[in-house]
Amino acid sequence: MGKVNNWHLKRDMEYVYEEARPKRQWAIVFDLNKCIACQTCTLACKTTWTSGKGQEYMFWNNVESKPWGGFPLAWDLRVLEKLGRQDWAKNGSYAGKTIFEAAPPTERAVHFAPQDEDWMYPNIGEDDCMGLVERGGHIGALPHDKWFFYLPRTCAHCTYPACLAACPRKAIYKRDEDGIVLIDQSRCKGYGECVRACPYKKSMYNPYTRVSEKCVGCYPAVEQGIQPQCVVNCIGKIRVMGFVSPPAKARDDNPIDFLVHKKQIALPYYPQLGLEPNIYYIPPIHADRAYLTQMFGPLVDGAIERYRKLQEDPVAQGLLVLMGSSDRILHRFEVDKGQAAGFDEQGAEIVRVPVTERVVERLAFDEKLQAPRNNTP
Amino acid sequence: MSSSPLLVLSVLTLSHLSWANPLLARKTGTDLSVPDPKAKYWDSVPQEHVPLMAQPMAIPRPEVTRTAQVAVQALHDGKRLALRLRWRDADRNEAGRLGEFSDAAAVQFPLAGKPVPPPVMMGMKGDPVHIFHWRAQYQRDAERGKPGMKDLYPNQAIDMYPMEFADPGTTSTDEAARDKFSPGREVGNPQSYPKNGVDEIFAEGFSTSAVQEGHQSQAKGNWENGEWTLVIVRPLAIEGGSTVKVGSSTWVGFAVWQGGLGEVGSRKCVTMTWTAFELSDKS
Repeated sequence: MGKVNNWHLKRDMEYVYEEARPKRQWAIVFDLNKCIACQTCTLACKTTWTSGKGQEYMFWNNVESKPWGGFPLAWDLRVLEKLGRQDWAKNGSYAGKTIFEAAPPTERAVHFAPQDEDWMYPNIGEDDCMGLVERGGHIGALPHDKWFFYLPRTCAHCTYPACLAACPRKAIYKRDEDGIVLIDQSRCKGYGECVRACPYKKSMYNPYTRVSEKCVGCYPAVEQGIQPQCVVNCIGKIRVMGFVSPPAKARDDNPIDFLVHKKQIALPYYPQLGLEPNIYYIPPIHADRAYLTQMFGPLVDGAIERYRKLQEDPVAQGLLVLMGSSDRILHRFEVDKGQAAGFDEQGAEIVRVPVTERVVERLAFDEKLQAPRNNTP
Repeated sequence: MSSSPLLVLSVLTLSHLSWANPLLARKTGTDLSVPDPKAKYWDSVPQEHVPLMAQPMAIPRPEVTRTAQVAVQALHDGKRLALRLRWRDADRNEAGRLGEFSDAAAVQFPLAGKPVPPPVMMGMKGDPVHIFHWRAQYQRDAERGKPGMKDLYPNQAIDMYPMEFADPGTTSTDEAARDKFSPGREVGNPQSYPKNGVDEIFAEGFSTSAVQEGHQSQAKGNWENGEWTLVIVRPLAIEGGSTVKVGSSTWVGFAVWQGGLGEVGSRKCVTMTWTAFELSDKS
């Protein structure tokens, strides 16, 4: 067991291998306030990667309705239950045990093993509100007393992956060039240890090839400077993929660092599990704060407060309109004179958009032609 | 590491001392080329009980010993060695669907004929072991073919798979084109192809096992009344692999997995020491 630093927890923690951060780390930020669960990301991933035999049930990207939904069934509740009650300290560091630290001597991580039937419902509880709305009831104040929200999920290509820690064959590796975590398809023997150990349940067993598979972070695209399929196909433009730095190396003009470190509005999910996951969420402003705190940690109140004030920050506004405006990976961005621009790794401009779209008012009656306007296509 | 240091020490230093009585393989005139766990000739072969315990070193590992012993008999016909293993297992498990694991057993020999055998825990770098790994799942492949998705999930519905079109002859859809959508097959992982019942594996320590192609060993297991009876037959001499010689002695190790109890990979019961093993030229 080694001691590694987990900045999500603001402390060192136990992990089976030494700390070895990649040259840069693949990451996605999701704005949960904008996700409408259209599942376009899910289908973009499905048609790209998992249309073969044994992959029928697989959704490397899925969108589930919270609080009731989960794929596989109740994955989050079951791992939290296994871990037991844990707490954050008053200073914001994690006082509880991670899944690695709470593991019995026979295991690498506290886990549960999902069974066949747990994978049969990709979105049970879809659109189910957390409680019944009374007849004549009115939802007016924030946060709502009756709520649900959508949670899109890919593999988090964790800094400290539980799948990698648990594989007795060492068939899982984390790439130095971008931090993407992959299962070596030629070495895996399908023991399913990664399926058991990953608390997010993003390793999946293929019963046809008899080896396990997982989200590959669309590495062939990333190698060419292109964002993953689930990101570029997002019609709500709620996602941006880039590279996240640890806090000491954060750059304000890196889109991911800006949202995660500078504004601190994008938070890791279930950071208390100890994996330092690299998908970050802008929490939904309307959902229950206690629930959100359990999911995103103690920074959630501040993140929501800052998100609600983004209209006062033109740079942040500019970045939010850059999200989904290019399929290329934005290594740097700048906002100036009402325009937001994104740049590739070499510094070349790849996209430029107005921070505020021009509004044209088109009256129902055309005075010049003395004719009513008809919008029928 | 959470394993007891004493245990580790005993494994490393006492590996050539045996916990079980030595095994003896006598010569038989019977042709052993076809493994037969129910053959009458096994009735007269003496049987040794070899103790197993929950694999204690590599994590993840089992908490409790599920299979405490395996009964072993051995015979050779001058060309082949047959080992017959029997152990209790309440359920028969062939695996196949998600979250299912197969019953399995393995026999291990030192690969090189050194005077001192390698560590019994799958050998070490530079001193490999030769493993014969049988799975009920692999036997199913050999007897009934590798199961397809419809065999595993008879009620599944799918429009079509890539490169498998509903109208025959609409396009060229050879196996190689279809395999592009099955990563394990595309990269040639032996797990993804039909098995003949038993894998031959070389290993130089935990996590290094590598399946060898083109071997000639065979295995046949039979489950009845809560007990597996398995016969593994191997040639005495295997080019590039381990060789056992008539008239001399070697070492052998065993492992058992009860798939129904979630045992797979490093979750297994193993012999903690090598068992001395002699091949006699007498019948």
